[in-house]
Amino acid sequence: MLVRVAFAIITLFAAQALLVAIVSAIRPRGNVYLTIIVVSLATAPFAAFADRLLFGRVLDGDGRLFLALSHLALGGFLFHFMTLPDRSVTLRIFVELLLAPNRELSVGELAGRYGVRTMIGSRLAQLQDGRCLTIASDGAIVLLPRGRSFGRAVTAGRRLFRITSAN
Amino acid sequence: MIRLLLPVAAIGVFFALSWATVFLFHPRDPKRFFLGYALLLLVATTVAYRALWPIERIEDALGLACDLLLQFLACLTMWNAFYSVLWGFSGSLMHDLFNEPALCDRERLIRSYEGDGELDRILARRLPNLVRGGWIEWRDRTLRLRPKGVVMAVGTLASFKVFSLGMGGGVK
Repeated sequence: MLVRVAFAIITLFAAQALLVAIVSAIRPRGNVYLTIIVVSLATAPFAAFADRLLFGRVLDGDGRLFLALSHLALGGFLFHFMTLPDRSVTLRIFVELLLAPNRELSVGELAGRYGVRTMIGSRLAQLQDGRCLTIASDGAIVLLPRGRSFGRAVTAGRRLFRITSAN
Repeated sequence: MIRLLLPVAAIGVFFALSWATVFLFHPRDPKRFFLGYALLLLVATTVAYRALWPIERIEDALGLACDLLLQFLACLTMWNAFYSVLWGFSGSLMHDLFNEPALCDRERLIRSYEGDGELDRILARRLPNLVRGGWIEWRDRTLRLRPKGVVMAVGTLASFKVFSLGMGGGVK
């Protein structure tokens, strides 16, 4: 019984990952996180009624609810998984080293390919797109209400955990 | 439905344990503690679930799987929020801009990260840990991937291609 449930879970995850990969290939400039949320929510009803396909019989109401919630949780795992290749500085450093001639780089060469200027420029642009701040043509940065809330939340969170130094 | 209360309780315990650990002990690598607590709580939920609702039907097994998935997802979300928001790059940028008005200038902000030494603030935090963890080798001022770093890099590159992510690293 547990093996069948494990098989069903793997099938639901694989189906979502495949759909997200297809949608991302069709819309490569789209937001992959939004794609995951939409795919997960849109396919949850299908998951709830996939009981006959997955288990060979109709489940009761609770069983279908558990199936749909498990499907949504798997979408959540895919969301978290995606933050690794998409956002991680460390993984990008690994890829730069992998793609470099002889798989080696000096610190200066690494900074030339993926340096602080590129990283900060891109993050600031994303924060500007997210209406957290604006950047004037002379480089002056102004925090918008959303950005101030973000900054306040990070500051409070760091105080809560007594984090004194970070990236 | 009442079966879903088990992960809710476990999530509360996870947060309390994680907060107490970081606040009181300042561990060098909190994620090891987060992972340990999350796994222990998965075991605890499994034991409690099976005692309360013996697994006799597919629905019972599915309820257990659902509880474990939701619980682990919530733990992972807290853990990821801790690292990416409180400790991560964008969160740190917003923290700096919010608390240090002098940095509200693109060039000054970049210079504060570049620093004066060979390594900028981003690499200075990461490279020593990556060397210590056996992911990369750093000799004669040159960086090389070690075997487990190669595996991780190949997996990351595959993810870039499968999910059309460009080159990742938070750069669009």
